[in-house]
Amino acid sequence: MSWSTDVFVVDDVDFLYLDRFVALAGVSLTIRTGERVALLGANGCGKSTMLKLLAGLIVPDRGTVNAFGTELTEPALDDDQFARAFRARVGFVFQSSDAQLFSPTVRDEVSFGPLHLGFDRSEVERRVDDVLELLGIAELADRAPYQLSGGEKKRVAIASVLVTSPDVLLFDEPTAGLDPRTQDWFCDLVVELHRAGKTIVCATHDLAALDQLADRCVVFSEEHRIVAAGSPAEILADLPLLEATNLVHLHAHRHHDRVHTHKHDLDHYETECDHR
Amino acid sequence: MTTPAWLIEPETRMGPCACCGRRAKGDFVEKTIAGAGRVLRATMFSADLASEDGFLQRTDARVKVGSAVVLLLVVAFTRHVSVLVGLYAATVLAASASQVPARLLVRRVWLFVPLFTGVVAFPAALSVITPGHIVVPMGTWFGTPFGFTAQGLTAAGLIVMRAATSISVVVLLTITTPWPRLLAALRALRVPRAFVLVLGLAYRYLFHLLTSITDMYEARKARAPRDHDLVRGRAFVAATAGATFGKAHALSEEVYLAMVARGYRGQATAIDRGPLGAVDILVFVAVVAVTLVAIGVDHVVVH
Repeated sequence: MSWSTDVFVVDDVDFLYLDRFVALAGVSLTIRTGERVALLGANGCGKSTMLKLLAGLIVPDRGTVNAFGTELTEPALDDDQFARAFRARVGFVFQSSDAQLFSPTVRDEVSFGPLHLGFDRSEVERRVDDVLELLGIAELADRAPYQLSGGEKKRVAIASVLVTSPDVLLFDEPTAGLDPRTQDWFCDLVVELHRAGKTIVCATHDLAALDQLADRCVVFSEEHRIVAAGSPAEILADLPLLEATNLVHLHAHRHHDRVHTHKHDLDHYETECDHR
Repeated sequence: MTTPAWLIEPETRMGPCACCGRRAKGDFVEKTIAGAGRVLRATMFSADLASEDGFLQRTDARVKVGSAVVLLLVVAFTRHVSVLVGLYAATVLAASASQVPARLLVRRVWLFVPLFTGVVAFPAALSVITPGHIVVPMGTWFGTPFGFTAQGLTAAGLIVMRAATSISVVVLLTITTPWPRLLAALRALRVPRAFVLVLGLAYRYLFHLLTSITDMYEARKARAPRDHDLVRGRAFVAATAGATFGKAHALSEEVYLAMVARGYRGQATAIDRGPLGAVDILVFVAVVAVTLVAIGVDHVVVH
């Protein structure tokens, strides 16, 4: 197995659901060690499918996905040695916390990953305690998932992945449905994890948090292709691109007695709407 | 996007927003959904009971599961009602030592025992099924005296008391033990881990789907006035069942992927608790002693 600085190399990938519905069409993408990448795009453009391909949960219908220098194929993922090494290195936080939290208690949930990756029992117990403390959810350890709020579920989902200390973290719509305080907490966590050397890939359409979530953005069109890549500042400045990919829209709102209309994005909001 | 005119103009076809005095009770759909809500609340209440500081709550779940198995076996093989009454009284005493309201235990047990066991046991008390000395005569049957026999009543009493005592033991076990500890105890007692994993998943997502069903019903209730048409009610139930099945299917695939992403490869693993404490061992020895005494008394009484 040859390890390189390219964590993932996706080459000309197509993926179809039920052999009919296109999710990805001719997508190529490289993600390097230590990068923070945001996959941007409207609903249904293929961001989540891309993350599942990177996590080795599905395989492409055409093209190749390489992770750590090895092609992700069904036979490779069936190989005990590779599967264990790959799953230990790549953590995936699902959009739906309810799908991710399947164990009877928070402690069982967080210990699930390291136990199945063959960690020593005492090491598992130590790590579970540490990660629950780190994320401020130690008091939830014996609670059942159905007794948690949305923000608490998200923290537990992140804890259940962080506990194995993966090199790469994949987040699917991490800030969706969270209150502002939890969103800020998540952004701070991403900054900390990046500082610790983790490679981070987020699928999102949250433009407000982009600066904190990514150094590089990859934009998907509604035709399930990658249409642009660049820094958050470059992407946010390209209004025609954001409008074409359905990430901004014409927005009308009121300032006291005056109603006006503009494209809805952060920079514009902060400059042209300073008369608030 | 142009807003249609009907969305801007005031709606004129509605009646006045006031009561007309006509009242209607909930239909079967509403009652079923309300029942689902009660299940959720009852479970939450059970979780509260399981976290009380009582005798059974302090006892290790493995000891409780082991003791329950021993007691259920003894109850199944006991042949005298008075011994069963003694064992039943012991479960009521254990409940009161565990801050379980006696009313709750009695209601849970005696609501189902007459309904299911009583119906089966009742005919066994009649002279046509169990011949013997008639103690409650009810006339004649083809020229022979007919009624409840002493032997029949004893047999029916034995069946009813067996059921009541067994249900008491199981109810006490489940309401004084948090579900996760119960699952851990099953694992410790060598129940296959895959089976325990499936049990845990079923329990976890039962709540999720129950909430989903309640949401669907409330969404319907928010948009439409109460509908008494049974056909439409059945159609709604069928549609809800279909939608829930679809959701459950999609959820199950997502859950499986979430498990695989964290290293699951078909072999379930979990952290088991440490060795039993001295008090727990003592409790188990006491339970075994009680059952031995019950077996002895039963043997003496029968012979």
